[in-house]
Amino acid sequence: MNRCSLLLRLIVLAVVPGALAGQDVAKQLDGRVSPDVRKAVVTIAADAAARGLPVAPLVEKAIEGGAKGVPADRVIAAVRTLAGRMGDAMSALRAAGVVAPSGDVVEGGADALNVGLTSSDVRDLVRVSRPPYDASLTLRVAATLVALGVPPDQALQLVNAMIKAGRSPGDLLTLPAEVQAGVGGGATPGQAAAGLARAAAAGRPPVPPGQAKTGKPVNPHRP
Amino acid sequence: MIAGYHPLVKQVLDGELSLADLPPELRAEAEEAVRLVQAADRAPVILSSAVEDRVMAVVRGHAASPARRAWRWINAPRDIELRLRVRPWVLWGGALAAAAVLALLLTRPTSSPGPETRVASRDSVLVRFVLYAPGARRVAVAGTFNQWDRSAAPLVPAGTSGVWTTTLALPVGQHQYAFVVDGERWVVDPGAPAVNDGFGRRNSLVAVTAHGTRAL
Repeated sequence: MNRCSLLLRLIVLAVVPGALAGQDVAKQLDGRVSPDVRKAVVTIAADAAARGLPVAPLVEKAIEGGAKGVPADRVIAAVRTLAGRMGDAMSALRAAGVVAPSGDVVEGGADALNVGLTSSDVRDLVRVSRPPYDASLTLRVAATLVALGVPPDQALQLVNAMIKAGRSPGDLLTLPAEVQAGVGGGATPGQAAAGLARAAAAGRPPVPPGQAKTGKPVNPHRP
Repeated sequence: MIAGYHPLVKQVLDGELSLADLPPELRAEAEEAVRLVQAADRAPVILSSAVEDRVMAVVRGHAASPARRAWRWINAPRDIELRLRVRPWVLWGGALAAAAVLALLLTRPTSSPGPETRVASRDSVLVRFVLYAPGARRVAVAGTFNQWDRSAAPLVPAGTSGVWTTTLALPVGQHQYAFVVDGERWVVDPGAPAVNDGFGRRNSLVAVTAHGTRAL
Protein backbone atom coordinates (compact mmCIF):
# COMPACT_ATOMS: atom_id res chain seq x y z
CA MET A 1 0.00 0.00 0.00
CA ASN A 2 1.49 3.33 -0.96
CA ARG A 3 1.65 6.33 1.34
CA CYS A 4 -1.12 8.28 -0.38
CA SER A 5 -3.51 5.41 0.10
CA LEU A 6 -2.64 5.10 3.77
CA LEU A 7 -3.03 8.85 4.28
CA LEU A 8 -6.42 8.77 2.56
CA ARG A 9 -7.60 6.00 4.81
CA LEU A 10 -6.45 7.84 7.92
CA ILE A 11 -8.30 10.95 6.78
CA VAL A 12 -11.45 8.90 6.27
CA LEU A 13 -11.04 7.46 9.75
CA ALA A 14 -10.80 10.96 11.19
CA VAL A 15 -13.72 12.43 9.27
CA VAL A 16 -16.29 9.62 9.28
CA PRO A 17 -16.98 9.62 13.05
CA GLY A 18 -17.64 13.39 12.99
CA ALA A 19 -19.99 13.00 10.05
CA LEU A 20 -21.85 10.20 11.83
CA ALA A 21 -22.07 12.33 14.99
CA GLY A 22 -23.57 15.13 12.90
CA GLN A 23 -26.15 12.74 11.49
CA ASP A 24 -26.99 11.59 14.99
CA VAL A 25 -27.46 15.16 16.24
CA ALA A 26 -29.70 15.96 13.27
CA LYS A 27 -31.76 12.87 13.97
CA GLN A 28 -32.22 13.81 17.62
CA LEU A 29 -33.36 17.29 16.68
CA ASP A 30 -35.82 16.16 14.02
CA GLY A 31 -39.30 17.48 14.77
CA ARG A 32 -38.16 19.22 17.95
CA VAL A 33 -36.63 22.39 16.58
CA SER A 34 -36.99 24.45 13.42
CA PRO A 35 -34.89 23.50 10.37
CA ASP A 36 -32.74 26.61 10.88
CA VAL A 37 -31.94 25.67 14.45
CA ARG A 38 -31.32 22.07 13.42
CA LYS A 39 -28.84 23.08 10.76
CA ALA A 40 -26.99 25.51 13.01
CA VAL A 41 -26.80 23.12 15.96
CA VAL A 42 -25.44 20.33 13.77
CA THR A 43 -22.60 22.64 12.76
CA ILE A 44 -21.96 23.85 16.31
CA ALA A 45 -22.04 20.27 17.62
CA ALA A 46 -19.61 19.04 14.96
CA ASP A 47 -17.21 21.83 15.88
CA ALA A 48 -17.61 21.02 19.58
CA ALA A 49 -17.00 17.32 18.98
CA ALA A 50 -13.84 18.16 17.06
CA ARG A 51 -12.63 20.10 20.11
CA GLY A 52 -13.36 17.16 22.39
CA LEU A 53 -16.40 18.77 23.99
CA PRO A 54 -19.57 16.85 24.85
CA VAL A 55 -22.34 17.19 22.29
CA ALA A 56 -25.30 16.04 24.38
CA PRO A 57 -25.67 19.30 26.39
CA LEU A 58 -25.86 21.27 23.15
CA VAL A 59 -28.57 19.05 21.73
CA GLU A 60 -30.42 19.21 25.01
CA LYS A 61 -30.27 23.02 25.10
CA ALA A 62 -31.65 23.22 21.57
CA ILE A 63 -34.48 20.85 22.46
CA GLU A 64 -35.21 22.91 25.58
CA GLY A 65 -35.42 26.06 23.50
CA GLY A 66 -37.72 24.38 21.02
CA ALA A 67 -40.00 23.11 23.78
CA LYS A 68 -40.19 26.57 25.34
CA GLY A 69 -41.06 28.18 22.05
CA VAL A 70 -37.95 30.36 22.07
CA PRO A 71 -37.25 32.12 18.75
CA ALA A 72 -34.73 30.34 16.54
CA ASP A 73 -32.04 33.01 16.73
CA ARG A 74 -32.10 32.97 20.52
CA VAL A 75 -31.89 29.18 20.62
CA ILE A 76 -28.90 29.21 18.29
CA ALA A 77 -27.26 31.95 20.34
CA ALA A 78 -27.83 30.01 23.57
CA VAL A 79 -26.37 26.82 22.08
CA ARG A 80 -23.39 28.73 20.76
CA THR A 81 -22.87 30.37 24.16
CA LEU A 82 -23.03 27.01 25.88
CA ALA A 83 -20.46 25.58 23.46
CA GLY A 84 -18.17 28.54 24.17
CA ARG A 85 -18.65 28.13 27.90
CA MET A 86 -17.83 24.43 27.69
CA GLY A 87 -14.70 25.35 25.74
CA ASP A 88 -13.69 27.76 28.51
CA ALA A 89 -14.42 25.08 31.09
CA MET A 90 -12.28 22.62 29.14
CA SER A 91 -9.38 25.09 29.17
CA ALA A 92 -9.77 25.59 32.93
CA LEU A 93 -9.85 21.85 33.47
CA ARG A 94 -6.71 21.37 31.43
CA ALA A 95 -5.06 24.16 33.41
CA ALA A 96 -5.93 22.15 36.51
CA GLY A 97 -4.03 19.20 35.06
CA VAL A 98 -6.98 17.18 33.79
CA VAL A 99 -5.87 16.00 30.38
CA ALA A 100 -9.06 14.31 29.20
CA PRO A 101 -12.00 15.46 31.34
CA SER A 102 -15.29 13.61 31.10
CA GLY A 103 -18.28 15.28 29.49
CA ASP A 104 -19.94 15.52 32.88
CA VAL A 105 -17.05 17.48 34.37
CA VAL A 106 -16.93 19.80 31.36
CA GLU A 107 -20.66 20.41 31.72
CA GLY A 108 -20.22 21.01 35.46
CA GLY A 109 -17.53 23.55 34.67
CA ALA A 110 -19.83 25.26 32.18
CA ASP A 111 -22.57 25.38 34.84
CA ALA A 112 -20.12 27.01 37.24
CA LEU A 113 -19.12 29.62 34.65
CA ASN A 114 -22.79 30.20 33.87
CA VAL A 115 -23.54 31.40 37.41
CA GLY A 116 -20.57 33.74 37.56
CA LEU A 117 -17.65 31.70 38.82
CA THR A 118 -14.43 32.45 36.96
CA SER A 119 -12.16 30.11 35.02
CA SER A 120 -9.64 30.28 37.84
CA ASP A 121 -12.38 29.35 40.32
CA VAL A 122 -13.16 26.31 38.18
CA ARG A 123 -9.49 25.43 37.97
CA ASP A 124 -9.04 25.73 41.74
CA LEU A 125 -12.14 23.68 42.49
CA VAL A 126 -10.99 20.91 40.18
CA ARG A 127 -7.57 20.90 41.80
CA VAL A 128 -9.03 20.27 45.26
CA SER A 129 -11.46 17.66 43.95
CA ARG A 130 -9.40 14.60 44.68
CA PRO A 131 -11.15 11.28 45.29
CA PRO A 132 -13.65 10.71 46.80
CA TYR A 133 -14.76 14.14 45.58
CA ASP A 134 -15.80 14.17 41.95
CA ALA A 135 -14.99 17.41 40.15
CA SER A 136 -18.41 17.54 38.50
CA LEU A 137 -19.99 17.33 41.96
CA THR A 138 -17.92 20.10 43.57
CA LEU A 139 -18.39 22.33 40.53
CA ARG A 140 -22.15 21.86 40.53
CA VAL A 141 -22.47 22.33 44.29
CA ALA A 142 -20.47 25.57 44.11
CA ALA A 143 -22.54 26.71 41.13
CA THR A 144 -25.77 26.00 42.98
CA LEU A 145 -24.59 27.86 46.07
CA VAL A 146 -23.89 30.88 43.90
CA ALA A 147 -27.28 30.46 42.23
CA LEU A 148 -28.80 30.60 45.71
CA GLY A 149 -27.18 33.98 46.30
CA VAL A 150 -24.00 32.97 48.11
CA PRO A 151 -21.16 35.24 46.99
CA PRO A 152 -18.75 33.24 44.76
CA ASP A 153 -15.74 33.58 47.09
CA GLN A 154 -17.81 32.36 50.03
CA ALA A 155 -19.18 29.48 48.02
CA LEU A 156 -15.63 28.40 47.21
CA GLN A 157 -14.57 28.82 50.83
CA LEU A 158 -17.45 26.67 51.99
CA VAL A 159 -16.73 23.86 49.53
CA ASN A 160 -13.03 24.01 50.38
CA ALA A 161 -13.77 23.94 54.11
CA MET A 162 -15.96 20.87 53.68
CA ILE A 163 -13.27 19.06 51.68
CA LYS A 164 -10.54 20.00 54.17
CA ALA A 165 -12.73 18.79 57.02
CA GLY A 166 -13.06 15.43 55.26
CA ARG A 167 -16.81 15.63 54.93
CA SER A 168 -18.37 13.08 52.59
CA PRO A 169 -19.45 13.90 49.03
CA GLY A 170 -23.02 13.36 50.26
CA ASP A 171 -22.46 16.13 52.83
CA LEU A 172 -21.37 18.43 50.02
CA LEU A 173 -24.63 17.74 48.23
CA THR A 174 -26.63 18.84 51.24
CA LEU A 175 -25.00 22.28 51.34
CA PRO A 176 -27.49 24.07 49.09
CA ALA A 177 -30.42 22.69 51.08
CA GLU A 178 -28.71 23.80 54.30
CA VAL A 179 -28.11 27.26 52.95
CA GLN A 180 -31.77 27.40 51.96
CA ALA A 181 -32.71 26.35 55.47
CA GLY A 182 -30.53 29.12 56.85
CA VAL A 183 -32.15 31.67 54.57
CA GLY A 184 -35.54 30.35 55.69
CA GLY A 185 -34.40 31.06 59.25
CA GLY A 186 -33.66 34.69 58.47
CA ALA A 187 -29.98 34.62 57.48
CA THR A 188 -28.64 35.94 54.22
CA PRO A 189 -27.17 33.32 51.85
CA GLY A 190 -23.70 34.62 52.68
CA GLN A 191 -24.31 34.39 56.44
CA ALA A 192 -25.70 30.87 56.10
CA ALA A 193 -22.68 29.80 54.03
CA ALA A 194 -20.27 31.43 56.48
CA GLY A 195 -21.93 29.59 59.38
CA LEU A 196 -21.63 26.30 57.58
CA ALA A 197 -17.98 26.95 56.72
CA ARG A 198 -17.20 27.77 60.36
CA ALA A 199 -18.95 24.62 61.50
CA ALA A 200 -17.00 22.52 58.99
CA ALA A 201 -13.70 24.09 60.04
CA ALA A 202 -14.51 23.45 63.70
CA GLY A 203 -15.46 19.85 62.97
CA ARG A 204 -19.08 20.35 63.98
CA PRO A 205 -22.03 18.95 62.08
CA PRO A 206 -23.34 21.45 59.53
CA VAL A 207 -26.24 23.21 61.28
CA PRO A 208 -26.88 26.61 59.73
CA PRO A 209 -28.92 29.38 61.32
CA GLY A 210 -32.62 28.65 61.25
CA GLN A 211 -32.19 24.91 61.18
CA ALA A 212 -31.20 24.29 64.76
CA LYS A 213 -34.74 23.86 66.06
CA THR A 214 -36.03 21.21 63.70
CA GLY A 215 -32.83 19.68 62.46
CA LYS A 216 -34.51 19.13 59.10
CA PRO A 217 -33.46 20.97 55.96
CA VAL A 218 -36.08 22.54 53.77
CA ASN A 219 -36.50 20.08 50.95
CA PRO A 220 -39.58 20.31 48.77
CA HIS A 221 -38.52 17.30 46.70
CA ARG A 222 -38.05 14.73 49.38
CA PRO A 223 -39.97 11.59 48.33
CA MET B 1 -39.31 -47.77 63.48
CA ILE B 2 -37.37 -44.78 64.68
CA ALA B 3 -39.62 -42.54 62.59
CA GLY B 4 -42.51 -43.43 64.82
CA TYR B 5 -40.87 -42.31 68.02
CA HIS B 6 -41.78 -39.16 69.85
CA PRO B 7 -39.43 -36.22 69.02
CA LEU B 8 -38.18 -36.15 72.60
CA VAL B 9 -37.37 -39.85 72.39
CA LYS B 10 -35.41 -39.17 69.19
CA GLN B 11 -33.46 -36.53 71.09
CA VAL B 12 -32.62 -39.16 73.70
CA LEU B 13 -31.36 -41.45 70.90
CA ASP B 14 -29.26 -38.60 69.56
CA GLY B 15 -27.73 -38.06 72.99
CA GLU B 16 -29.24 -34.62 73.37
CA LEU B 17 -31.43 -35.64 76.32
CA SER B 18 -31.16 -38.25 79.03
CA LEU B 19 -33.93 -40.55 80.10
CA ALA B 20 -34.30 -38.53 83.29
CA ASP B 21 -35.17 -35.47 81.20
CA LEU B 22 -38.24 -37.11 79.71
CA PRO B 23 -41.72 -36.93 81.15
CA PRO B 24 -42.74 -40.20 82.84
CA GLU B 25 -45.17 -41.21 80.09
CA LEU B 26 -42.38 -41.23 77.48
CA ARG B 27 -39.77 -43.09 79.50
CA ALA B 28 -41.00 -46.59 78.61
CA GLU B 29 -40.95 -45.73 74.90
CA ALA B 30 -37.47 -44.25 75.23
CA GLU B 31 -36.11 -47.25 77.12
CA GLU B 32 -37.48 -49.53 74.42
CA ALA B 33 -35.86 -47.43 71.69
CA VAL B 34 -32.51 -47.35 73.51
CA ARG B 35 -32.63 -51.09 73.98
CA LEU B 36 -33.25 -51.67 70.27
CA VAL B 37 -30.43 -49.35 69.21
CA GLN B 38 -27.97 -50.91 71.65
CA ALA B 39 -28.91 -54.37 70.38
CA ALA B 40 -28.04 -53.47 66.81
CA ASP B 41 -25.05 -55.35 65.44
CA ARG B 42 -22.29 -52.81 64.71
CA ALA B 43 -19.75 -55.36 63.51
CA PRO B 44 -18.25 -54.52 60.12
CA VAL B 45 -19.72 -56.38 57.15
CA ILE B 46 -17.21 -58.37 55.17
CA LEU B 47 -18.23 -59.20 51.64
CA SER B 48 -17.11 -62.37 49.97
CA SER B 49 -14.50 -62.06 47.22
CA ALA B 50 -17.07 -63.34 44.69
CA VAL B 51 -19.29 -60.34 45.31
CA GLU B 52 -16.36 -57.95 44.84
CA ASP B 53 -15.38 -59.64 41.57
CA ARG B 54 -18.91 -59.35 40.22
CA VAL B 55 -19.14 -55.66 41.09
CA MET B 56 -15.79 -54.83 39.50
CA ALA B 57 -16.67 -56.77 36.36
CA VAL B 58 -19.77 -54.64 35.93
CA VAL B 59 -17.80 -51.43 36.51
CA ARG B 60 -15.11 -52.36 33.97
CA GLY B 61 -17.69 -53.37 31.40
CA HIS B 62 -19.43 -50.01 31.82
CA ALA B 63 -16.20 -48.06 31.48
CA ALA B 64 -15.13 -49.92 28.35
CA SER B 65 -18.38 -49.53 26.43
CA PRO B 66 -18.05 -48.06 22.88
CA ALA B 67 -20.20 -45.07 23.79
CA ARG B 68 -17.98 -44.25 26.74
CA ARG B 69 -14.83 -44.59 24.66
CA ALA B 70 -16.29 -42.35 21.97
CA TRP B 71 -17.25 -39.72 24.51
CA ARG B 72 -13.79 -39.80 26.05
CA TRP B 73 -12.25 -39.40 22.62
CA ILE B 74 -14.45 -36.41 21.86
CA ASN B 75 -13.94 -34.82 25.22
CA ALA B 76 -10.21 -35.32 25.66
CA PRO B 77 -8.07 -32.16 25.25
CA ARG B 78 -5.58 -32.19 22.38
CA ASP B 79 -2.78 -30.01 21.14
CA ILE B 80 -3.62 -28.36 17.83
CA GLU B 81 -1.10 -26.47 15.77
CA LEU B 82 -2.41 -23.84 13.34
CA ARG B 83 -0.22 -22.30 10.72
CA LEU B 84 -1.49 -19.20 8.94
CA ARG B 85 0.16 -17.68 5.92
CA VAL B 86 -1.19 -14.23 5.09
CA ARG B 87 0.02 -11.43 2.90
CA PRO B 88 1.04 -8.20 4.71
CA TRP B 89 -1.74 -6.15 3.08
CA VAL B 90 -4.33 -8.44 4.69
CA LEU B 91 -2.87 -7.73 8.11
CA TRP B 92 -2.82 -3.98 7.46
CA GLY B 93 -6.38 -4.03 6.16
CA GLY B 94 -7.58 -5.92 9.20
CA ALA B 95 -5.81 -3.55 11.54
CA LEU B 96 -7.32 -0.52 9.81
CA ALA B 97 -10.80 -2.05 9.89
CA ALA B 98 -10.45 -2.79 13.59
CA ALA B 99 -9.22 0.77 14.19
CA ALA B 100 -12.17 2.17 12.25
CA VAL B 101 -14.67 0.13 14.28
CA LEU B 102 -12.97 1.17 17.52
CA ALA B 103 -12.97 4.83 16.48
CA LEU B 104 -16.67 4.68 15.67
CA LEU B 105 -17.51 3.06 18.98
CA LEU B 106 -15.44 5.55 20.97
CA THR B 107 -16.43 8.74 19.21
CA ARG B 108 -20.09 8.17 18.43
CA PRO B 109 -22.34 9.99 20.89
CA THR B 110 -25.11 8.17 22.68
CA SER B 111 -28.42 7.83 20.91
CA SER B 112 -30.25 10.29 23.11
CA PRO B 113 -28.85 13.26 24.99
CA GLY B 114 -29.47 14.37 28.51
CA PRO B 115 -29.12 12.95 31.99
CA GLU B 116 -31.18 9.88 31.26
CA THR B 117 -28.54 8.55 28.98
CA ARG B 118 -25.64 9.49 31.18
CA VAL B 119 -26.97 7.78 34.25
CA ALA B 120 -29.03 5.03 32.69
CA SER B 121 -27.08 2.34 34.46
CA ARG B 122 -27.56 3.84 37.89
CA ASP B 123 -30.47 3.73 40.28
CA SER B 124 -33.51 5.90 40.02
CA VAL B 125 -35.04 7.71 42.97
CA LEU B 126 -38.65 8.78 43.44
CA VAL B 127 -38.97 12.55 43.54
CA ARG B 128 -42.15 14.43 44.35
CA PHE B 129 -42.87 17.69 42.57
CA VAL B 130 -45.37 20.10 44.05
CA LEU B 131 -46.70 23.39 42.67
CA TYR B 132 -49.35 25.69 44.05
CA ALA B 133 -51.18 26.93 40.98
CA PRO B 134 -54.76 27.88 41.80
CA GLY B 135 -56.89 28.35 38.72
CA ALA B 136 -54.63 26.27 36.48
CA ARG B 137 -56.36 23.88 34.11
CA ARG B 138 -53.36 21.61 33.73
CA VAL B 139 -49.79 21.50 35.03
CA ALA B 140 -46.84 19.40 33.92
CA VAL B 141 -43.17 19.24 34.78
CA ALA B 142 -40.60 19.24 32.00
CA GLY B 143 -36.86 19.05 32.29
CA THR B 144 -33.64 17.41 31.37
CA PHE B 145 -35.03 14.11 32.64
CA ASN B 146 -37.78 13.96 30.00
CA GLN B 147 -36.21 15.95 27.18
CA TRP B 148 -38.33 18.97 28.09
CA ASP B 149 -41.49 17.24 26.95
CA ARG B 150 -44.42 19.40 28.08
CA SER B 151 -46.84 16.51 28.20
CA ALA B 152 -44.68 13.67 29.51
CA ALA B 153 -45.16 14.29 33.23
CA PRO B 154 -48.50 15.87 34.14
CA LEU B 155 -49.22 16.86 37.73
CA VAL B 156 -52.44 15.88 39.43
CA PRO B 157 -54.57 18.38 41.37
CA ALA B 158 -55.00 17.64 45.05
CA GLY B 159 -58.71 18.36 45.33
CA THR B 160 -59.63 21.99 44.84
CA SER B 161 -56.81 23.38 46.97
CA GLY B 162 -54.81 24.57 43.98
CA VAL B 163 -51.95 22.23 44.84
CA TRP B 164 -50.68 20.08 41.99
CA THR B 165 -48.37 17.16 42.55
CA THR B 166 -46.66 14.25 40.87
CA THR B 167 -43.97 11.76 41.72
CA LEU B 168 -41.36 10.76 39.17
CA ALA B 169 -38.56 8.22 39.18
CA LEU B 170 -35.51 10.24 38.27
CA PRO B 171 -32.07 8.90 37.55
CA VAL B 172 -29.26 9.87 39.91
CA GLY B 173 -27.71 13.17 38.90
CA GLN B 174 -28.53 16.85 38.72
CA HIS B 175 -31.52 17.91 36.69
CA GLN B 176 -32.95 21.22 35.49
CA TYR B 177 -36.69 21.57 35.17
CA ALA B 178 -39.64 23.91 35.13
CA PHE B 179 -43.39 23.59 35.50
CA VAL B 180 -45.59 24.15 32.47
CA VAL B 181 -48.93 25.67 33.40
CA ASP B 182 -51.78 25.31 30.93
CA GLY B 183 -49.39 24.04 28.29
CA GLU B 184 -47.69 27.36 27.63
CA ARG B 185 -46.57 29.19 30.77
CA TRP B 186 -43.19 28.08 32.09
CA VAL B 187 -42.89 28.52 35.85
CA VAL B 188 -39.87 27.88 38.09
CA ASP B 189 -40.25 25.90 41.28
CA PRO B 190 -40.46 28.49 44.09
CA GLY B 191 -39.01 25.95 46.52
CA ALA B 192 -35.85 25.21 44.59
CA PRO B 193 -32.82 27.18 43.45
CA ALA B 194 -32.87 28.39 39.87
CA VAL B 195 -30.32 29.23 37.22
CA ASN B 196 -30.35 31.19 33.99
CA ASP B 197 -31.57 28.93 31.20
CA GLY B 198 -29.73 30.82 28.49
CA PHE B 199 -32.95 32.12 26.95
CA GLY B 200 -33.57 34.88 29.46
CA ARG B 201 -35.66 32.68 31.74
CA ARG B 202 -34.87 30.48 34.72
CA ASN B 203 -34.69 26.74 35.32
CA SER B 204 -35.08 25.09 38.71
CA LEU B 205 -32.45 22.65 39.95
CA VAL B 206 -32.84 19.32 41.67
CA ALA B 207 -30.09 16.87 42.57
CA VAL B 208 -30.90 13.21 42.94
CA THR B 209 -28.47 11.05 44.89
CA ALA B 210 -28.60 7.38 45.63
CA HIS B 211 -29.55 8.32 49.19
CA GLY B 212 -32.43 10.62 48.28
CA THR B 213 -33.13 13.97 46.78
CA ARG B 214 -31.51 17.28 47.46
CA ALA B 215 -32.94 20.60 46.49
CA LEU B 216 -29.80 21.61 44.66
